[in-house]
Amino acid sequence: MLPADRAQVPKILILATEACAYPGADNVGQIHAEYPANTYVVRVPAPVMFSEPFYLHCFEKGIAGIIVMSCGHECPYPGAYDTLATRISRVHELMGERGIQTNRLRLCAVCTVCSKAFLKEVHQMHELLTSTV
Amino acid sequence: MDKSQAQDPLREADNGATAHTLRIGVYVCHCGGNISDVVDVERVVQAASGLSNGVVTRHYPAMCSETGQNLIIDDISNEKLDRVVVAACSPSLHEHTFRAAVARAGKNAYLYEHVNIREQVSWCGKSDPDGATNKAIRLVGAGVAKARLLRPLAPISMDAKRHVTVVGGGVSGLRAARDLARIGLAVTLIERSASLGGHMAQWHLVYPTEDKARDLLRELVDEVIGDPNITVHTRAEVIEASGYVGNFLLRVEPEHITVETGAIVLATGFDLYQPQEGEFGYGQYPEVITLDQLERMLDPEGPTSGRLERNGRAVNNVCLIHCVGSRQIEGIHQPGPDGKLNEYCSRVCCTATLRAAGEIRRRFPRTNVFELYRDIRTYGRGHEEYYDEASRLGVLFCRYEADRPPVVSPAEPKKGPGLICAKHPPGRSGKLNLVPFSAEEPDDSALVVQVKDTLTFGEELEIPADLVVLVTGMVPREIDTLVDQLKLSRSADGFLQEVHPKLRPVELAVNGLFVAGTCQAPMDISESCAAGSAAAAKAAALLASGRIELDPFLAPVDLDVCRGEGKCVEACQYQKAVTLVEVERDGRKVRHAEVNSALCNGCGMCTAVCPTGAIQVEGWRLDQFDAMVDALVADYAETEVSHA
Repeated sequence: MLPADRAQVPKILILATEACAYPGADNVGQIHAEYPANTYVVRVPAPVMFSEPFYLHCFEKGIAGIIVMSCGHECPYPGAYDTLATRISRVHELMGERGIQTNRLRLCAVCTVCSKAFLKEVHQMHELLTSTV
Repeated sequence: MDKSQAQDPLREADNGATAHTLRIGVYVCHCGGNISDVVDVERVVQAASGLSNGVVTRHYPAMCSETGQNLIIDDISNEKLDRVVVAACSPSLHEHTFRAAVARAGKNAYLYEHVNIREQVSWCGKSDPDGATNKAIRLVGAGVAKARLLRPLAPISMDAKRHVTVVGGGVSGLRAARDLARIGLAVTLIERSASLGGHMAQWHLVYPTEDKARDLLRELVDEVIGDPNITVHTRAEVIEASGYVGNFLLRVEPEHITVETGAIVLATGFDLYQPQEGEFGYGQYPEVITLDQLERMLDPEGPTSGRLERNGRAVNNVCLIHCVGSRQIEGIHQPGPDGKLNEYCSRVCCTATLRAAGEIRRRFPRTNVFELYRDIRTYGRGHEEYYDEASRLGVLFCRYEADRPPVVSPAEPKKGPGLICAKHPPGRSGKLNLVPFSAEEPDDSALVVQVKDTLTFGEELEIPADLVVLVTGMVPREIDTLVDQLKLSRSADGFLQEVHPKLRPVELAVNGLFVAGTCQAPMDISESCAAGSAAAAKAAALLASGRIELDPFLAPVDLDVCRGEGKCVEACQYQKAVTLVEVERDGRKVRHAEVNSALCNGCGMCTAVCPTGAIQVEGWRLDQFDAMVDALVADYAETEVSHA
């Protein structure tokens, strides 16, 4: 059986853009930098494709934290980043209404070689979740 | 079966199997220990076999090998697999490989899902193998969950321009352009400066052949200029790029021309490290120069007509300082204007310096040559011979540590207790005489270089120098516009980054873009030529047929579900790929969304706002993501590794 501490490690979902953040996450591995194992990187062309309920459902299902790692202003899809930023703000409002801590959803930009930014985001979220969840 | 089911390609392809009865093969790669040294692959396979669709589950040392791929092909045939999942390295390396294997077995290539358990699991989780194994189990679970919902897709086949643009007219760009033209492709060569040849045109003799650089170049430039397949634009820059593999569109200034091209070879070259003001006396003392300036000086066609002189005086003592601006260490070296340290070795400077040092000793035997180095790296074929030759010719080597770099200062009357080495030409043994400093024998060199020499048990030497040569390395050239327009990846040191140093060494992450020469990393002329030829061969192979296959990750509309509300049309305000059309269906007029696949870029802005889920990006459907999240949070208690 799984001891309680392992079963209850809060899970972090990382939505990483195919053009920037996903290769950025690969880069972290390539330089053999370590980060907690409770992190699950999912490759997406553009996280702008997810509607507000997608995020809320993730929390309902048991994901403890979500980091949306976008391309920021390097986004290859015109207009997608600004639309995404607006949507994440809207999700934050909805999270507030439902009593979900809003800092459990983070939007940031991670480039193909931004290993430091990737690690900072992951460690911050991990710390937040392990100290509060 | 109702009509919508009959039209569902999933059901047609899978002979009526439902998502949970599909036969899925799951393969976990050891990557020769890269994965299996950390991740318990047997546990991952055991977990996968517990999933409802895990019909075949295997682990294997190298799935990308021919034998590994044949495992998949044989299982598809013998076990009647409907879907394949491979957990291995990053999809950027082998997603395409395994899709191709699935296709070779007669299945649709898009019925394949790739799970990354190397870069994003084993390599970043070495100190927590249990955690890494559990993570791999969940990620494989998510991969299987997505695989259940994959649909067969048809790649989009498009015309491709049989034309390549080479950006940069240095030796690797010239070599790429010439090779491409000989294969029969049309080439446009765009060079930022006024002339072709790049840095090589400024160099005198080049190792390992001692050829005159300009003679080698002249031959190549003549071939390029004389080739009817090549159009050359000098003083020209790409300022805007759009399109995709096979059909890029480049705007070139200041000539206001537009180039339609199928592939792009980046051969933008390097800059030489510019020493900071006062670094080893650079900019302070006119006797401090860089290696490229020394090369110009040694060139009979150069500014001194080949005479080794400074301030009108012959040079008696030359001191060459290696690793200036290279192999920088945090806390020891000052970051450059961009705040970055150049931590890498520039590779080519050692042999270039040894070559120049040997030439000085041969041509000016009365001139003493000192090389102050951290390490000598003569890595290539015929390079070490330059070190042997320089030693034989009496070049004196001193080794310094990074934290005790040589100090260059104006020469003053010396007071000891250091050692001075001056005006004592090599004896028969070929060795210079190191003699204690003597006030009776003043040296008139303008500068003195102090160095703690670790080859002689840390002796503090004072070396007179009327010429100090800083051996500066290669740094990435400023090509921000190209990086921005073409979405180029850079490595941590700022050079352009290939997809994989061994498997795809001249390809960039964006399909149709290739890299050649020193914009990728410091390399010498032989290596730059090889890279240029390699990029040419890859680009030519890509465009040979004049057709290109693209992934069909666009957003079609499910007409049975679309209610024609038009929210997707609003969302697609940038691409304007979605419109509402009115059609007659079952005898009545209905409105529905229609996607222009030539304009759709697959971003999914429409997907998020569609109230019915009718519009989805193929390959990235929302139900697939939902299923992945479900799998990530599922209960794997029986198969996960627990802390004993």
